[in-house]
Amino acid sequence: MSGGVKNTVLEYRKKTGVEPPKELTELVKEINKIKAKITNALKEGPKTIPEIAKEIGMKESLTAWYVLTFVKYDLLEPESQTDEGYYRYKVKG
Amino acid sequence: MSVKSWYERKYYGEIEDLPEEEYDVLVIGGGIAGIQAALDLGDMGFKVVLVEKEPSIGGFMYKLSKTFPTMDCASCIATPRMAQVFHHPMIDLLIYSEVEEIEKKGEGDFRVKVLEKPRFVDSSRCTGCGQCELACPVIVPHEYDWGLAGRKAVYIPFDTAVPRIAVVDLDHCIYCGQCERACPTEPPSIDFTQVPKIHHLKVGAIIIATGFHLFDARLKENYHFGEYPNVIHAMHMDRLLAPTRPYHAILRPSDGKEPNNIAYILCVGSRDKTVNNPNCSQICCMYSIKQAQLIMGALPLADVTIYYIDIRAFGKAFEEFYQQAKDMGIMLVKGRVAKIEQKENGDLIVWYEDIENGGKLCKAEHDLVVLSVGLLPNKEIANVFKGQKLEVDDVGWIKPVDENANPVETSIRGVFAAGTALGPKDIPDSVIEGGAAAMQCAAYLSEVRGRH
Repeated sequence: MSGGVKNTVLEYRKKTGVEPPKELTELVKEINKIKAKITNALKEGPKTIPEIAKEIGMKESLTAWYVLTFVKYDLLEPESQTDEGYYRYKVKG
Repeated sequence: MSVKSWYERKYYGEIEDLPEEEYDVLVIGGGIAGIQAALDLGDMGFKVVLVEKEPSIGGFMYKLSKTFPTMDCASCIATPRMAQVFHHPMIDLLIYSEVEEIEKKGEGDFRVKVLEKPRFVDSSRCTGCGQCELACPVIVPHEYDWGLAGRKAVYIPFDTAVPRIAVVDLDHCIYCGQCERACPTEPPSIDFTQVPKIHHLKVGAIIIATGFHLFDARLKENYHFGEYPNVIHAMHMDRLLAPTRPYHAILRPSDGKEPNNIAYILCVGSRDKTVNNPNCSQICCMYSIKQAQLIMGALPLADVTIYYIDIRAFGKAFEEFYQQAKDMGIMLVKGRVAKIEQKENGDLIVWYEDIENGGKLCKAEHDLVVLSVGLLPNKEIANVFKGQKLEVDDVGWIKPVDENANPVETSIRGVFAAGTALGPKDIPDSVIEGGAAAMQCAAYLSEVRGRH
């Protein structure tokens, strides 16, 4: 299909003039910040989602969504469970 | 996303208009009913084209944990059939494609226009390794898991997708090119020079197996779905229970705690005139009982309470399945839930009418509430017929010509329907109807071709 076109994403942008929407580039910046904050919070040792949320100042449900998505993408992993039913997470590797 | 919106985008080249292709039968919808119909027709020697709008075939069944009442693994049943239909010599698949228009020219002669959406991934080269997905910096809610976790803007639809090929979600792409650089094939499989293709099909008969939509639980405002994170719907729970689940355990979305006191509310969006759906959705009682049993297995210390109006255990071995749930200690409370309130720690207060104890208003505390949402018709398909009317009932389900004697033939001769396109039903009934529609289709083609 690409018929010899190299770097098709770049060529697509050049040919169509399409630019990424600002809200998406802002979202990516936000995701990167959240990722950095969460991994930073786990430097001292494994933490539960409420503990991470408290440390980084983010809503627990949003923290849960990102932590569990990062677990899915192998950035984080569950380590142990508390008596209250929470898992503690750590950075993988 | 509408078909029209695909015409409004910018592409590397012009939209490709393909020459006419001829098939005996068009099957619309690659869920279990459509797959069954296509396989049966293919095995009978008919040349079939199956159109699926999503980037993988499989429909709804592959998302489920287990089937009821047999507790068989749903994806273990669905996946081999998906592979079988994909590799069948008599079946061609148009995946990630949508039927735009159908015109009946005469008996056994339908002309169909299908839009094949670009994946921006070369399917002949992509190995499904997922390197592009790891490299992509965008994270958005994954539809497959009903938003419980995220996916990237380029992604493999799910682990057992057929075909297991990545797809670029252009709506969330920032055109950074990370996916293309990460792709290990030479040249890379990411291909932004792809354009939509318009297929023109000439077919002898059509089977509609377009499935259903889930009831939007936000419409029941007193349950605060979408507002209280620990109010989820039953398909969320089915994903949490499935072997391919989004989380590493069954966790509640508000804070990642393992729930230990779970409530089910039945008939959410079914048997309810206030939301325009007076019908029973037929499967909610049983899928809730199935999930409750699975929760008891996965979380042995958890309490599970089901709030119901009636338990409709009408199928083979359903009553025994229901009794088994009671024996396992699942609590069943006859009563409509009036409202849900949220506590500061995310736990929920359920206010309900206790019918068996004089109808008094009671409240109970739970740490997760599951709404057993009903099924609604997928109405889009009725709009693609040009010059012919596809009859639907008052709710919008496809109406057969005769509910008793001819339950899979539609108001347009030569067009048949199967599965939940006709109304709510479970997996075995959908499979039976897929087979029945295939048989009726074969009889129709034999009749019209013999005559002309």
